[in-house]
Amino acid sequence: MWLALYFPQLPIDRQDQHSADEPRAVILHEGPRKRIMACNPCAEAHGVRAGLALKNAYALVPNLLISDFDETEQAAHLEQLTLWALQYSSWVCPESPDIILLEIAASLKLFEGLDGLLHQVSRGAKEQGVHVLLGIAPTPKAAELFAKAGMQKPIINMAALLETLAGVPVSLLPLDDFTLKGLRQSGIQTLGELRAIAPAALTRRFGSQCTQLLYKLDGRLPDPKEAYKAAESFSHGVDLPLEAPDTGALAFPLNRLLGALGGYLKTRDLGVRHLDVVLYHHKRKATRVPLKFLDATSNIPHLFRIATERLDAVTLDSPVIRLGLESTELDSLEQHGRDLFQKSQAQSNSIEQVLDKLVARLGKEALYTALPGDDHRPEKAWMTALLERQQPPTQWPARPVWLLREPQPLSEDMTLHTLPERIENGWWDETDVRRDYFIASTKGGAYYWVYRQRHHSTQYWIHGLFS
Amino acid sequence: MDPALDALLKSQPALWRGRDRYTDDNSIPTGFASLDNALPTRGWCIGGVTEILSSQQAIGEVSLLLPALSQVTKDNQWAAFINPPYVPYAPALSNAGIRLDRLLIIDSKNDTNTLWAAEQVLRAGLFASVVAWVDRTSAQKQRRLQLAAETGKTWATVYRPLRDACEHSPVAARLQADIIDSQLALTLIKVRGGREQTIIIDPAEFDDSQGVEWPVPESVVNL
Repeated sequence: MWLALYFPQLPIDRQDQHSADEPRAVILHEGPRKRIMACNPCAEAHGVRAGLALKNAYALVPNLLISDFDETEQAAHLEQLTLWALQYSSWVCPESPDIILLEIAASLKLFEGLDGLLHQVSRGAKEQGVHVLLGIAPTPKAAELFAKAGMQKPIINMAALLETLAGVPVSLLPLDDFTLKGLRQSGIQTLGELRAIAPAALTRRFGSQCTQLLYKLDGRLPDPKEAYKAAESFSHGVDLPLEAPDTGALAFPLNRLLGALGGYLKTRDLGVRHLDVVLYHHKRKATRVPLKFLDATSNIPHLFRIATERLDAVTLDSPVIRLGLESTELDSLEQHGRDLFQKSQAQSNSIEQVLDKLVARLGKEALYTALPGDDHRPEKAWMTALLERQQPPTQWPARPVWLLREPQPLSEDMTLHTLPERIENGWWDETDVRRDYFIASTKGGAYYWVYRQRHHSTQYWIHGLFS
Repeated sequence: MDPALDALLKSQPALWRGRDRYTDDNSIPTGFASLDNALPTRGWCIGGVTEILSSQQAIGEVSLLLPALSQVTKDNQWAAFINPPYVPYAPALSNAGIRLDRLLIIDSKNDTNTLWAAEQVLRAGLFASVVAWVDRTSAQKQRRLQLAAETGKTWATVYRPLRDACEHSPVAARLQADIIDSQLALTLIKVRGGREQTIIIDPAEFDDSQGVEWPVPESVVNL
């Protein structure tokens, strides 16, 4: 069974729908003439429609924002949508310029039936910001035909297919103008009437193309479709229709690329560990924003949050003209067995997500755990390390819970309490430490860890607080 | 309680007791008998924010948390320090029995980031204890933290400067820490289900905290 996804508005869909309270249109150059190819709902409301000459459109909407149709960009968009569609089926074939075919018989169980699948596909397309028409039929050609004709009712068996096809007007067939004109002049209006003609006569009168199409529609002629095969690594980009002066405008194209990444990761059963968001500028070196994860992840909403948070912190020197997404390190996902009674497994699974979120905003250096080093000179007995396994603790003599990064000269009157603890090693490297440490208290009752240099016994320094 | 029954309970640590169950769910014992008795939850409140407003530093205001933090991390649960005022010194923490690989330290630098990080960590519910140090905050922001702690069922502690003691704050408990007669005095400014009172923590209760025997013996040298 085949599901055809037809994207009627693809040229305009690649523009941000959210900032679409201004009329926008994509235009196609036909020699010296310029015609509207697609427009957004705002422009449509003013009477602009596809096929209109640009000068007429300007007469209707003087402030119409136009951009040129870009064929390679549309092909790239279709490929990204193909990747996105891979999460619904392993057998996906893009048909240029605006159709994607999915073999869905094998997917029905996973998505709890056809309704469940169609619901998910529609919702996914909405998240991707594209308009889509669906067609379901036992043959790929028929699914494509139904999608383009807007016949959304699923046709799931051959009998229903033949019956439905018989009523389809021939004008909807993807045939050239000459053949369509011939059909019209012969008084043939529906596919049923066309099928009544003997095949030999049909080929003679309207060409083999017409016969083959007819046979592919009802499955008499095999119509093999080659499944799209995902590349070894993910590297895709989106040309921005309008330059983005700051990173706030990147959420829409980022969402589109991440949607493609989601399907890509699903079909390869991988997670991403290192991902680069690449911001291209005009005549300048691209800005790379690396996203590194503790564990490989394929959670797209999570990736989107991390990436937007990270991008928020980036200040741009010049506007972005293109956004890219490149996976530099992919890894297999950790499969956690689900134990009915054990909750901790699920917990350890998501602590990484919390940490990733913190790191995305605060930077990797902001998070650490304290490690007791075996070097007990105070400055070096703490180190920063992110989530590493540690040796069992050792017992230390009196040490304060807070340490000052830079010891401060003692100015207040203090009472020394303990006999000095001499810390005297490290003379072989630069931080030569020969100090006598005391516990000292102020009149106010605060306790400090103070020291004096062994040979400068008059000056005391505060090094820690017994908070 | 009947001494025989008491002895039986003590000899059978595996015996399930209803009261333990109750306290386990709602609080973590502070490790200080007088404080546990004064708090209606019989320990640090789980699923709520406890504010500690200290009149000065280095009087034992952080040591108050160490016994409970030690318990939490030994149970393999996570704890977080957000925006500590100084470097948390590993030897002292490990002296207190805290498992360092379960204590995440977050240098959030400013109050906005501290409050944001605290809310994230609290809401996730993956950390058993979250301790944050903030300078400027507001009733509204404290309310967000309180709600996040309730959502994540987390023991949350927020250190604030003493000047904010008279400001309204919609958190579960507020404690003011002072030194009275060289002993740590805790005033319960506000505690849900409790009354305002001042308790004195005997220095001996700090129990070798930070590797020091408290109270520290009388002065040896005078400056």
